[in-house]
Amino acid sequence: MFDKKVVRRRRAALAVFVGLSVVLLTAYFGESGGGALHSVQRGTQEALAPVETGASRALKPVKDFFGWVGDSVDAKKQNKELKADVERLRSELAKAQTAQRDARELRGLVGLQRTEGYPRGTKPVTARIIARSPTVWYSSVKIDKGSDDGVKLDQPVVASGGLAGKITSVSGGTSEVTLITDGSSFVAAQIVPKGAHGVIAPSVGNPNDLLLQNIEDGRRVTAHTTVVTSGFTTPKVRSLFPRGIPIGEVSKVDLDEVATYHRVHVKPFADLRSMDYVQVLTARGTTTVAEAGAP
Amino acid sequence: MILSVGAVVRVGLLLFLAVVLQLSSLAQISILGGHADLVPLVVGAVAFYGGSVAGSATGFAAGVLLDLAVGSTLGASSLVLTAVGYAVGRFREVRDPSHGLLPIPVGAAATAGWVTAFAAVSFMLDVGANVSPLVFRDMLVTILLNTLLALPIFTGCRWILRPCLVVDPVEVRRRRRPPRESGPIGLRGLEV
Repeated sequence: MFDKKVVRRRRAALAVFVGLSVVLLTAYFGESGGGALHSVQRGTQEALAPVETGASRALKPVKDFFGWVGDSVDAKKQNKELKADVERLRSELAKAQTAQRDARELRGLVGLQRTEGYPRGTKPVTARIIARSPTVWYSSVKIDKGSDDGVKLDQPVVASGGLAGKITSVSGGTSEVTLITDGSSFVAAQIVPKGAHGVIAPSVGNPNDLLLQNIEDGRRVTAHTTVVTSGFTTPKVRSLFPRGIPIGEVSKVDLDEVATYHRVHVKPFADLRSMDYVQVLTARGTTTVAEAGAP
Repeated sequence: MILSVGAVVRVGLLLFLAVVLQLSSLAQISILGGHADLVPLVVGAVAFYGGSVAGSATGFAAGVLLDLAVGSTLGASSLVLTAVGYAVGRFREVRDPSHGLLPIPVGAAATAGWVTAFAAVSFMLDVGANVSPLVFRDMLVTILLNTLLALPIFTGCRWILRPCLVVDPVEVRRRRRPPRESGPIGLRGLEV
């Protein structure tokens, strides 16, 4: 082991092989793609190709086995990742849909104010619905605006499309809105233009159906006409709702029902079951008779 | 290692098998993002059993064969594998180890030296682009897998090279029997 000859031979071998490697490196970098070393390399690759192909085929089951194990592990990981992705996308979708719906409702509220005949100067306060009555017998919702925001008792509340109800309870930061579908709700209404007057009453249990009752005798009522608040005013009493707020559309006119009960069916414009935003009209505003019309 | 035609053929066969298996199969089996590498293990095994001269020669040959087969920069692998083979061979010559599990750390060290030095050489010579940190993960996985494979590969290499070996570490270990504790008084405590 300590023989000088052996040591010299060992060092010489190392030097020779390292030197050869460096020479190969230098020559390889120095020559062009068609040089001798590159040609030898290509030839070796061609010569080894059949052997590699054969070995690859022979060992395919082994590769497949490891591939299967790897795929299973990857699939588990991917499954977890995809589940997380689905959860995230669902959440994003829900947010986007909520935002879209909110935007639609708010657009509807803004559009409502631009409706011909809609009362001007009502100073609307936009509020979000934070709670709903769980029963069909008491149709009311709670909103996130109260007396601190200028909301007072009996102020009209509109939703996207039309009238929603009135304020029946107020606290500092919240208020309760009794909807027009509530059993205790009655709204003086009129079919426009120049149509019959009557009172909108709910059809309890069916939020898509209101009744315009107490229609004056002899007044002709046709389907698909618009019903708005009449906003009557007398020296002693006046309606809580200003004139011209759209309520709904006459959906069904049964002549017998009209003759016997003096009523027709009205489908409300506002989607009272799924609305998320409403506006409280904190001022009565003004409306001219000539302006009153359809939304 | 006894330098003979038989030894050259055996080592050449080992290298050829290692390179072909590596390229056709092992390089395509991805485990934890990396793959095992037979070439440094075989070079390490030949160096471990054959010494530094055989180790450096085998490393050089393996590197040339690998570069030719892969089409990578000729001389880069041989430079690194020569150093790996020489280092393992010198370890064997200086320490004269004979423990049965020694191939495991030796294989791991040879692989670590190979992947690290080859990465450095490649980075200096060829790679101009940014290098992902995942390279380190792949290197670590290769070292771990080779650590697991080291014992069977070293055993197989020893089995093939045994006729050409001057000293077989396993035989040395077998010969080191415990001293006699019975028999004639004069022989007790002696390794006879």
